[in-house]
Amino acid sequence: MAPPVQVSRLIKLGRYSFLFLGMAYGATRYSYLKPRAEEERGIAAEEKKKQDELKRIAKELAEAQEDTILK
Amino acid sequence: MATWAPAPNEPSWSCTQEVMPHSAGRSGRRTFHPRTMAQFIRNLVEKTPALVNAAVTYSKPQLATFWYYAKVELIPPTPAEIPRAIQSLKEIVNSAQTGSFKQLTVKEAVLNGLVATEVLMWFYVGEIIGKRGIIGYDV
Repeated sequence: MAPPVQVSRLIKLGRYSFLFLGMAYGATRYSYLKPRAEEERGIAAEEKKKQDELKRIAKELAEAQEDTILK
Repeated sequence: MATWAPAPNEPSWSCTQEVMPHSAGRSGRRTFHPRTMAQFIRNLVEKTPALVNAAVTYSKPQLATFWYYAKVELIPPTPAEIPRAIQSLKEIVNSAQTGSFKQLTVKEAVLNGLVATEVLMWFYVGEIIGKRGIIGYDV
């Protein structure tokens, strides 16, 4: 087995500082995106409800207006 | 259904029952064909420690070599080493300013590039840890 190589201090410092920077960046971005996604989900759900309501009304109107005796 | 408890030294199941049908082939390998869910769970519970033991024995030497290298190569820098590291950074910046980096061979430059890329990738590993998900933000 080859002996372990002595990694330069700059590289070690860089690695671990990037690791912690990355963790901080990931955590902050997650906390930034989370409320926005929830808001968006709420808005989408409301939109869907409205659309469903409109579709229901349209369907009932169409059913009332069609004049077939084959029911 | 009659309830019975096995004697202290008796296994909780015995081969005389029709519980575990098995076939010993020509090579002597036992194959288990559990018939019900309960037997399957019993099989699993009884075989898991053996499997775990096998996995541990297999991975121990590899773990040992990993630890052997990691103890020297992967430890974070002690606070005493940080000034020396900043010194090397200044040297690099200096060489970029004075143009002495042009004296590097292409092979050295490629190696430096690879090492720099690896150091930069640790940022993304940290981001994965921070956002607690491998692909994408799980909002």
